[in-house]
Amino acid sequence: MSDTGAPKPSSSVKLVLLGEAAVGKSSLVLRFVNNDFQENKEPTIGAAFLTQKCNLPSRTIKFEIWDTAGQERFASLAPMYYRNAQSALVVYDLTKPSSLNKAKHWIAELQRQASPGIVIALVGNKLDLVSGNDESGEGAEAPARAISTEEAKAYADQEGLLFFETSAKTGEQVQEVFEAIANAIPEVALKAKGAQGMGRGLGGSAGEVAPGLSMNEPNTKDSCAC
Amino acid sequence: MFSTLIQKAQSLILEPPASSPSPAKPSKSTQFRNQFRLPAKQTLIQEISCEMSLSTGDHYTGKLYLSEAFLCFSTGSSSTAAPASPGFTLPLCAIRRVERLHSRSYMFALSVTTWHNDLRLTLQFAGLRPSCERFCDALKKGLRTQMNESKNLKILTDSCYSEFLLAGSERKNSGLDGEKKEEKRPDTGLGVLFKYPGDTKKLRDRSKMRLWAEYLRDNGRNITLVRQPTFQKLIRVGLPNRLRGEMWELTSGSMYSRLFNPTLYQDTLEKFQGQHSLSIDEIEKDLNRSLPEYPGFQDEEGIVRLRRVLQAYSWRNEEVGYCQAMNIVVAALLIYMSEEQAFFLLSTLCDRLVPGYYSMTMYGTLLDQKVFESLVERTMPILWDHFNKTDVQLSVVSLPWFLSLYINSMPLVFAFRVLDVFFLEGPKVLFQIGLAILRISGEELLQATDDGALISILKDYFARLDESAHPNSPNEKLRAVTRFQELMVVAFKEFAGITHSTIIEERARHKEPVLKDIENFAKRTQLRNLGPDSKKLDKEDLSNVYDRFYKVLYERQERDLYQLEEAAKAQRGKDAKSEVLEAGRVGLGASVTIMSYDAFREFLSGIAPWARHNKLMSPWGGNQVPADHEFIRRLFKRWDTDFNDALTLQNVVSGLAAIKGAHKDIMSCISWFFELYDDDGDGRVDKEGILKISEALLFITRKGFTFETSTPPLPGDDNRPDEKFLKSVSEFIHRCFEYADPSHPGNIPSTPSPPSSPDPSDDEEDEDSDDDLIAFESIQDPTPPKPKRKKEANIALDPQKPLHITLPTFRMVILADEALESFFERGFTASFSLTPSTSTAPIPSAHLSTPSAGLPSVEAARVGIRGVLDGVVRDGMRVAAEVRRRMEEEVEKAAAGAKEAVDEEEEKEEVGRVSEGDRDLLSGAEADIRSIAEKPLVAEGQKEGEGEGSEGGVGVKKEEVVVERREDLLQ
Ligand SMILES: Nc1nc2c(ncn2[C@@H]2O[C@H](COP(=O)(O)OP(=O)(O)OP(=O)(O)O)[C@@H](O)[C@H]2O)c(=O)[nH]1
Ligand SMILES: [Mg+2]
Repeated sequence: MSDTGAPKPSSSVKLVLLGEAAVGKSSLVLRFVNNDFQENKEPTIGAAFLTQKCNLPSRTIKFEIWDTAGQERFASLAPMYYRNAQSALVVYDLTKPSSLNKAKHWIAELQRQASPGIVIALVGNKLDLVSGNDESGEGAEAPARAISTEEAKAYADQEGLLFFETSAKTGEQVQEVFEAIANAIPEVALKAKGAQGMGRGLGGSAGEVAPGLSMNEPNTKDSCAC
Repeated sequence: MFSTLIQKAQSLILEPPASSPSPAKPSKSTQFRNQFRLPAKQTLIQEISCEMSLSTGDHYTGKLYLSEAFLCFSTGSSSTAAPASPGFTLPLCAIRRVERLHSRSYMFALSVTTWHNDLRLTLQFAGLRPSCERFCDALKKGLRTQMNESKNLKILTDSCYSEFLLAGSERKNSGLDGEKKEEKRPDTGLGVLFKYPGDTKKLRDRSKMRLWAEYLRDNGRNITLVRQPTFQKLIRVGLPNRLRGEMWELTSGSMYSRLFNPTLYQDTLEKFQGQHSLSIDEIEKDLNRSLPEYPGFQDEEGIVRLRRVLQAYSWRNEEVGYCQAMNIVVAALLIYMSEEQAFFLLSTLCDRLVPGYYSMTMYGTLLDQKVFESLVERTMPILWDHFNKTDVQLSVVSLPWFLSLYINSMPLVFAFRVLDVFFLEGPKVLFQIGLAILRISGEELLQATDDGALISILKDYFARLDESAHPNSPNEKLRAVTRFQELMVVAFKEFAGITHSTIIEERARHKEPVLKDIENFAKRTQLRNLGPDSKKLDKEDLSNVYDRFYKVLYERQERDLYQLEEAAKAQRGKDAKSEVLEAGRVGLGASVTIMSYDAFREFLSGIAPWARHNKLMSPWGGNQVPADHEFIRRLFKRWDTDFNDALTLQNVVSGLAAIKGAHKDIMSCISWFFELYDDDGDGRVDKEGILKISEALLFITRKGFTFETSTPPLPGDDNRPDEKFLKSVSEFIHRCFEYADPSHPGNIPSTPSPPSSPDPSDDEEDEDSDDDLIAFESIQDPTPPKPKRKKEANIALDPQKPLHITLPTFRMVILADEALESFFERGFTASFSLTPSTSTAPIPSAHLSTPSAGLPSVEAARVGIRGVLDGVVRDGMRVAAEVRRRMEEEVEKAAAGAKEAVDEEEEKEEVGRVSEGDRDLLSGAEADIRSIAEKPLVAEGQKEGEGEGSEGGVGVKKEEVVVERREDLLQ
């Protein structure tokens, strides 16, 4: 009942990562979970699942992270993974213009098809590649920033998203992204998750959605969405 | 006739799979091909009951089958299609000799000697003599036509390790050890260079190889191998490393594709060398990320091979291209086989074994997940219930199992054992293994309450596959059983009931819903991404446009495929039963997403009545035969904003939004129309354009349109809407010319000498361009102009006097006429009915009763007063055509005055076709025509062919247009 009791309440939050191939989704997760970085990260087939705790002053959040494959044709599998997700990290590559477009598509899809109230963070990754521009830290080979902070931020504000620019390589801002998400998850959603698993309640009228791959959108009321 | 066999076999690789996992009811030939793993183009020609005996004395009863290039035998029935059952798949070219045995007169028996001389088969037919004879005749014919294929045999067998193996043991026997022979050792994959995974001792590789050598000696090898029950057993205990690749390609059937296409792999690499594509980029990104734990892929050698195979396949099957997970599968194959072998095996995988897994929509993957779930539900209801209750989603773990054929999930050595059986017994193995995994871990899984727990339990299970399954058993033998062995036993014993036909049935059962899901998803995604223009359209309309767009593309592809199939069938003259045809369906990963002009016409004919042919009652029932018209062509060009002579869905939606979008009023409609004819975008439409507009107006309204007139006309009134519109259009032409602005103000007075042209060089330019006319005139310059008869005749119609209307003029002319106003106010927009049920463009009933045959005039005469409408509209078209023709005649006359008489004859004929009833309707237009007739002649000195882009040139061209249009009228 009351969260003010002595033991810090702990709850699970399902988080899904979406974004174009090779923008660094798996790397961000690896950084967050293992504080590690690999130069040649294997592409994700289908999806990967990892968990990590995040300690907040008032509570502990256990992230159940679904890291999805970025190749375009895997997109039709995504609903299976973002089903019932309470939060999403939509990643783009700061140096690749097309990746922000893809991110926008994902955000539009999440807003229509995912659980209502899903917390979405827009994340521009590979900050290390462009931060050297002013400090001339990087050589001339460093790819130029293709998406300005202002542009992405404006879009995030307009859509009501959290916004970060990160580097999975240096770890810059990575922890912050997850903390911000943890903080933004409404208390109510956490309680719904409670002890007996996340159940189906979250998706609204999702009762009839068969488990297994369900392309059937969880919230049927929005099914006509186009 | 079968000389094209190589081509046919090639097309197996070139062509996308025709019907993938569809076979609701696979045809007999499909079943036949599946059972014997034959290339796609093989059909069943003959079959007969038969007893087969080997020289070893083993004999089996079963059925003998004959296709164009194969002789096959199996003890299993073809409906259950058990490819592992005893029998053989023998390419006809691998048969050296066939003899009739006459040992006992009542028996009909053949002795078959194969490529490997040591293998002799006796086939004893059990059937009536005539059917035996028939079979033999067909066999004889087949043997003859296949003879020349045997040159490929040597190439193939030289690459087979089995040959080397047996030759090696012979070498040893004969005492001459061949150091030199070592060079010819067939490529058995990266394993030779980087070691094969696993401990060869533990795998008992040596003793396995001995057993295989024995088997191959007695039962033929590679292309001539005969399957006996031992064969399946030997495979189930795991193939020896060096024979693995060859056995995979033999049991999967990819060896036969390779046999008939000995140069395809190299050719493909050479043909596409250095070329780029999206797939090539995607492949490049993943090369360093495929089985990185295997040393061969930390080395350039492995990477290079992987790159070549993936690239070659992406070129050969662009519909699939490259899908992540293929890199892992191919990497695994390359450990045991050559690049070429891997290339053909990958084709066989994508086409037959796991169809649709790696396609653009991955529908095969999704479908098999559904199938898997339904099998879990059926075989393990308690576990299934548990998953349901706890909302655990099984596919999150099982999808990667199937997609990467367990290669990514299990330690490699075990994954390869699964593959051994998979290639022999088919996709059912993937399901059996999956079910067995769940059965064995069942107890633990019942404790799992979320996806995460499910994943970690199974990860743990896979990590301990090499441990004892019964570590605490007092029985030593039991203790020695590994968890992997346990898995195999459970999979193939406990789930023996999961057969090939189970999978086929389940796939058929789930296919439609899965495709629907994918299509809905694709639609949702695509519509969402269409951008702002799509918001201007009604949601329902948009959805219908999407459906119609893809339906047209789908149907066209299907039609093409059907025609191809029909042609092939006609050529073959057999296998009358049509295969399940499917192509272009979005869910299957339709490759075509753009519309050609013809497809566009078809699309338009579904949403606009005027885009259909007049022939309403076509004998074959279709009233949607797409029409062709200059207006439609313009529309297409206008919508093709990317200038690639094809329309995307985005183009179509934006195009429609400009016409039907919200907030469209009469003014924007008029402007839109005007711009459509303002080819160079200079705000002017010239004479040519005006005529075209009037033709378009008549074309669009030839089947009637809804009017909003203040005074509804009385029945029988002369001013019936459509008649009125016809008049309006001729008025329109009249007025346009009346209010038109001369293109060169300085030219209006009959001053003979025009100002010199600023740029005479572009006289070959677009006929609509003003500059051309200037140029033309400058060319005319030296010729003394004929004195012009200054009558009240519309000077505008003088082809020498270029003129144009501007948007305000056009607007004024439109608004001056009630019918035209109504057309632009509502009629035109409403003529596009995107949502079928609310069709707003009525087809006049008079039209429906109109017989369609015959010339318009004949027809018009026949239909009488009430049925005149059709003729009226058509004649209206003719008015415009006539106007144009007269003009051009003038030009022609000027060019070649002598021809006048002939032209006049034609003209008479033309007028004669108009029935009496229509004459007065045309009177308005007649006036125009007369005025043209009286207009001054063009300078006589004009030479023919002078100034291509000039009016003279146009005149000649336009004559064709008129003819074309006549044809249109007749249709
Ligand atoms: N410089 C730099 N490189 C990065 C960063 N994050 C990831 N990368 C590199 O980008 C490549 C792709 O990273 P992944 O994490 O595998 O990308 P992904 O989004 O998971 O890719 P898919 O699984 O194929 O969808 C790898 O080579 C990474 O090393 C970053 O912050 N900075
Ligand atoms: Mg990844």
